Parts: sequence; structure tokens; C-alpha cells
Amino acid sequence: MSTSPPAIPAAATQPPPPVLPGFEHVRRAWNATHSYYAARILPGEYYVTKSAEGVATTLGSCISACIRDKVSGIGGMNHFMLPATAGSDPDAYKATGLGAATRYGNFAMEHLINEIMKNGGRRENLEVKVFGGGRIMEKMTDVGKRNIAFVRDYLAAEGLAVVAEDVGDIYPRQVIYFPDTGRAKVKRLRSLHNNTIASEELKYVGSIVDKPVSGDIELF
Amino acid sequence: METNASDLVKDIGGLITLPDVYLRISRLLDNPNSGGADIAKAVSQDPSFTLRLLKVANSALYRFPSAVTTVGKAVSVIGTAQIRNLSLSMSVAKSFAGLPNDLVSMENFWKHSLYCALIARHLAKLARRCEPDALFTAGLLHDIGELVIFNRRPAEAQAALQTVLDSDDETPVFEAEQQALGFDHSDVGGELARQWNLPPLLEECIAHHHDIAGARQHPREVALVHIANILATLAEVDSLDPDDTETIDPLAWELTGLTPECIEPAVREAQAEIEEVEKLFTDKT
Repeated sequence: MSTSPPAIPAAATQPPPPVLPGFEHVRRAWNATHSYYAARILPGEYYVTKSAEGVATTLGSCISACIRDKVSGIGGMNHFMLPATAGSDPDAYKATGLGAATRYGNFAMEHLINEIMKNGGRRENLEVKVFGGGRIMEKMTDVGKRNIAFVRDYLAAEGLAVVAEDVGDIYPRQVIYFPDTGRAKVKRLRSLHNNTIASEELKYVGSIVDKPVSGDIELF
Repeated sequence: METNASDLVKDIGGLITLPDVYLRISRLLDNPNSGGADIAKAVSQDPSFTLRLLKVANSALYRFPSAVTTVGKAVSVIGTAQIRNLSLSMSVAKSFAGLPNDLVSMENFWKHSLYCALIARHLAKLARRCEPDALFTAGLLHDIGELVIFNRRPAEAQAALQTVLDSDDETPVFEAEQQALGFDHSDVGGELARQWNLPPLLEECIAHHHDIAGARQHPREVALVHIANILATLAEVDSLDPDDTETIDPLAWELTGLTPECIEPAVREAQAEIEEVEKLFTDKT
């Protein structure tokens, strides 16, 4: 028998920082090892903060864009993927133009950027980091590659430079981003977690295919 | 529903079968009157094992100065006790094919196990006074309880993996399993090893690789598998950063006399060997 007791999470030494309106539903947890709060977002979610706190997520083939105003420190993270399109060509999503596939990506990117600007961020100060798009299921089409291609195209079209990225390859990733400092910590996860992460992502893709987003995206 | 590891293992006996060649060699080794020639004869009765044994003997794993072309030579250069370990190692992926699961692909599962096997073997050579081939087998088998849990208790196993992810990968898998089930894969693997009458060294390495202090007869070997398991996770994600994996129990360094300086060469060597070893020990081509 193993005798080591299960770890008891140490109590938070401070209350969580204030949450911006609209993000109250996002679960925030105290990280006892490194003493910070982090909001944990799921596929399809995003989170923006003006406080010294982290935003964390787990990525398989999905993408997270981490964006902040590098002067004011207002920023956040999204977590999205494009729904499947016919064919395995990574550029296939383009063929549908502004149709279903890219809409979800645009939606996720614009929500994040709009929310940062709504809270005082300035477009000329935006700093972007991009993570994810791993090929975690060897036997499936490389949807990660398509997601990477989309986010790069999107940022180029918007004239937003990427200061750091860790994308592609075969690993799932755990990402923690601190908008106040711009620091991002990426940890590759063992393949043991591939199926758990992939099934979360499939659930999310299933939900966006069933439920089309509104055609009106507010442009900034 | 099974409430402990031993109940869980009771009803899977029929799903996993150890190969006849392993059982024959084991019986011979337990008999003081049998020698190398008897072992070679037992090996020869299984042509497919014979062929694969010769492949292993001539692989980079052994680097013998001359080609090993006969079973007799393989038995004499590898050693009778180690042939038993090899017969177990070379069949284990097949033995467990009867326990499929939806949580991890067999390929990824055995890749981690083979990394652990290669690193345990490498560390055994450094630590001295350990049998490298026995450590290879121990490394290969260390997580077999996982396959039992994944197959028999998929819901709890999935909940445990989710707990690990929700903790930002800071809760070790075995702790999450204890929370979800009341026992973990090392308990289940230990039970399985006892049910199979595996040598005590293998049983202890499987049962205590997360709990070195619990090892009674083979603490050094258990400590080597403990280190090898953690380094295997680094090899898998191609990292040398200790922050990317679980903490190595300081007792493991103390018991083995090894130091963290061994980490980089052990990981790099295993990464260089993994492809060939996957072909030798699993069905991967």
C-alpha cells in the first residue's frame, strides 16, 4: 500500500482580486505552490482582468491567444478552435470565407480584444502571445495546424505582432498567463492526458456546430 | 463494486495471460537441477520468442562484440535469470492487449513504460550492484496497475485524470487515484504481481515506485524505478526542466548514491534508443 497522504491544498493567504463584470462565472483557484490566483478557462471561454492574477487553461489542438495592453497591464486569454471543414488541407477553412469555420475563430479573437479595449486597453499597446494547436491524436486530421494557420492569418490581418508563441508539435499544453506582467508559463503534458483533453475539445466542437453564433460581430 | 486493489485484480485473471515460455523458464530457474541448456531448450520450444530474443540480443541494447546467432549463446551471454525477465518483457504488451481502455492509447502507454525501462536499466548500470535487465523489466511493468484501473474503473480513472488537469498538473496521478478510488495503480499492480508470483524485486518496484520508504527487500531497485519513472515523463515531453514533472523523492538519491547530474544523459540516451526498443518490445513497426 502507498502510505503517502494526499496533498492538502494550502489555504489562500489573500482574497481573490476583483473580477470584471461578465467573468463572474469563471472559476478562480489559489495556487499554493506559487502563491497566485488563476482563472481557469475551458474550451470556448475567455477571461480578461485588470488585476495581478493568472489566466490558465489546458490546450490540445485548440489555440489560446494571450493579449494585453503592455502599458496598463489589462489583458486576458481566450481558448478556441475552428469547427471541422471538409478536407485535410490546413487552408481549407479559407474556402468557406466568412462562413461558419472562421466565424468561431473571429468571434473568440474579437471578444477578447474588444473586452480588453472596453476596459481601457489601447490598440497600439497590444502585445500578443499564442499557444496550442498540438497534434495530440495521431490518427486524426491535424486540426491543430488549421487552428494555428487561422490565428496567424487573423493577427497578421489585424496588424498585431506576436511576441512569443509555442504552437504545434505533438503535446498537450498547460498555459498560465499573467496579463499584468506579460509572463506566460507553458508546460507540456504527458500523453496520458491526451484523450481526456481531446474529449473536452470534441464536446466543445460539438456544441459550436450545433449552435451557430450570431452573424453580427461587433467590430472595434 | 470492488472496494480495494485486491478485489479489483481478482476478476481479471482470465483477461491477462503470461506466456508459456515465461512460465517454463520460471519453473526451470526454481529447480536447482536445471542449467543453461534446459533454459535454451525451453526457449527453443517457442520459435517466435526465439526469433525475437535473437533480435534483442543483437540490438543496440546489448552491444555484444560478436553476433549472437544461437539460443545457447543468447542464454549464456544474457544469463538465465535475465532471459526470464526478457521473456516477460517481450510479451507484456501482448499479455495486456486483453485490457483495452478509452483513456490512453496502448502505444502511448507502452512508450512511457519503455522510457522508464530504458532509464531504469541505464541508472542500474550507474548505481552498480543492480541487475540492469531486471530493472528494465521492472520499469516496463511499473504502471501495469494503470491498465487494470483504466479497464475496470474507467469513470473513476477519468475523474482522477481530470483532477490532475484541474490542479494545473500539480496533483500526481497516484494521489488523484487515491482520492477517487481509495487506492492507486501501484497498489493494483502490486496485487497483480503477487497473483502472478512475479519475483519479489518486480513486485516491490511495481507496488512502491511512488512510495520508496515502503520497500522492504529491494529499496535500491525501487528507488531506481522511482527516479526512472519521473525521468521518463521528461523524456516523453522532451524536457530537462525539473518543473515539468513530479519531484524526485530525496530518499531515492540517498538510496542509490546517484545525483541529479545523471538526469540529462539518462534522458538523452533513452530518447536515442526508444524507437528501436518500441519495435522490439511492442507491435509497433
